[in-house]
Amino acid sequence: MMKEMISERLKKVILRELDLDDFDIVESTSADMVPGWDSLNHARVIAAVEDEFGIRFRTLELIALRNVGELQELIDKQNRDRP
Amino acid sequence: MPFNSLQYFLFLPSVLLLFHFTRDRWRWVVLLLGSLGFYAALGDPYLLAALATVTMTTYVLGIRIGGTRSPRGKTALLWIGIAINLLVLISMKILHSMTVTGNPSPSGIGRLDLFPATGSILAIGVSYYTIQAISYLVDIYLETGEAESHPGRFALYLSVFPKILQGPIERGRDLIPQLRSPYVFDYAGARVGMLRIAGGLFKKMVIADRLAQYVNPVYDNVHAYSGVVFIVATYLYALQIYYDFSGYTDIALGSARLFGIRLTENFRNPYTATSIADFWRRWHISFSRWILDYIFRPLQMKFRHGGTGGTAVALILTFLASGFWHGFGWGFVVWGLLHGLFLACSVYYKPHQRSIYQKLAVTAGWKSAIWQRFITFHLVCLAWIFFRANSITDAGYILTHMFTGTGKIARLLTSHERLEIWICVLSLGIMAFLYHLGNRRDKWDYLFSKPAAVRWCFYYATALYILMFGKYFSPQTFIYGKF
Repeated sequence: MMKEMISERLKKVILRELDLDDFDIVESTSADMVPGWDSLNHARVIAAVEDEFGIRFRTLELIALRNVGELQELIDKQNRDRP
Repeated sequence: MPFNSLQYFLFLPSVLLLFHFTRDRWRWVVLLLGSLGFYAALGDPYLLAALATVTMTTYVLGIRIGGTRSPRGKTALLWIGIAINLLVLISMKILHSMTVTGNPSPSGIGRLDLFPATGSILAIGVSYYTIQAISYLVDIYLETGEAESHPGRFALYLSVFPKILQGPIERGRDLIPQLRSPYVFDYAGARVGMLRIAGGLFKKMVIADRLAQYVNPVYDNVHAYSGVVFIVATYLYALQIYYDFSGYTDIALGSARLFGIRLTENFRNPYTATSIADFWRRWHISFSRWILDYIFRPLQMKFRHGGTGGTAVALILTFLASGFWHGFGWGFVVWGLLHGLFLACSVYYKPHQRSIYQKLAVTAGWKSAIWQRFITFHLVCLAWIFFRANSITDAGYILTHMFTGTGKIARLLTSHERLEIWICVLSLGIMAFLYHLGNRRDKWDYLFSKPAAVRWCFYYATALYILMFGKYFSPQTFIYGKF
């Protein structure tokens, strides 16, 4: 249940940053599938996700990201590792 | 040996025949020995030492990174690999610039006679295979690629002769699987390969080397000229460097295709770009993808909390690095900086582009596309001035004198036989026609659908055209072979 709420929260952040009303974002969604999610907006989306969840990713973790599912996993991992 | 030499056209079929008639299990040996012989023919032992160092260290580190579980261990090995490759790259570039006649070193030290036989240490190819090796290691680290365990195949990945001198810069996951696959003679592929080689020779020997004879007198002696002649020479240089480098790329891709290897396309009509970002998606594509993936993206992530400013800084630093990669000269640095600044400005401009167009009542269509292409081409040409000029002061002189009259343009254009201009115009017209044809359909399919008599007329006409109008007695070295 917690993961599903987080996913909805993640989806809202992405849509807000890309100025989209709606888009079907699933685990396998990659940036090139989403309108406006280009390399220039990518950093802004990631920064907004970090601010939304109060976390900070390592740069190398972000470079290896391939889709929204892996981003969700990184968020979950950070939440699990929190004291 | 350069691609536009007789030796290459004795070497290529010899290696190909030997490759074809060798058992598949040992074909990699033939190709590797051929590639090393090709590189050794440049006559500079430092080059072979550089290639050996990069090959051996990257091979070992690739396997170690792939086999190490500890994140810290992997990171340390990656940084060692990057450092070794950058050390080789920078050392060879410094040695080259310190030993080239008449070219003072960045530190002000005079010319070093380390290799008096040729007078200078070459650095051909080093810029390409070192960054290719870095991409190989990073991809293993990020688990987007895997280490190659066969040392010969790995050596071939870095040194295969069609791409060793000037790229394309190939990713491991694109090239290594092809080297593993059994070779099967493909008539259609070989035919396209040979036509691409012919196309490359046409671009290099007929067009680029011919344009050079108009560009070089102006750029090598700027104080003898002023006015519009600088603009004309810059336009001609823009064409020269494109046909020179894309000509090399065609020969490289065509040669590789004969061996059943498909290398990455490096150009996609770059002067039709509608923005600088679009230009870099069309020019030296394998290199721009490399700097995007391995310099810009990490920097952009590092500066992600800087907002648009962070992205702008990442772009400027990326293209500064690009300038240094081309050479340790202020001209290259300014060229790279200009492209970085153009892109940084576009980051601020792009979000407002739509509203600006609405206020100016500009609608998307062929007129706005032409305007965008016009502006983009001229921004690119502005940067080319610094790229080509022999010094910053020469570039400054060009910029401050390009609108002071017509300045000897007639003398420049008549400095060679009038026939030369007509050959230029005709050849560029043929290229324009092929571009237009390529937009409507696959031009190879179009050619191969014609009857044999028509096809062979085309083949013979092309060969005859190159033989008659190619520049043989004043051949220019490939421009991007200097980087």
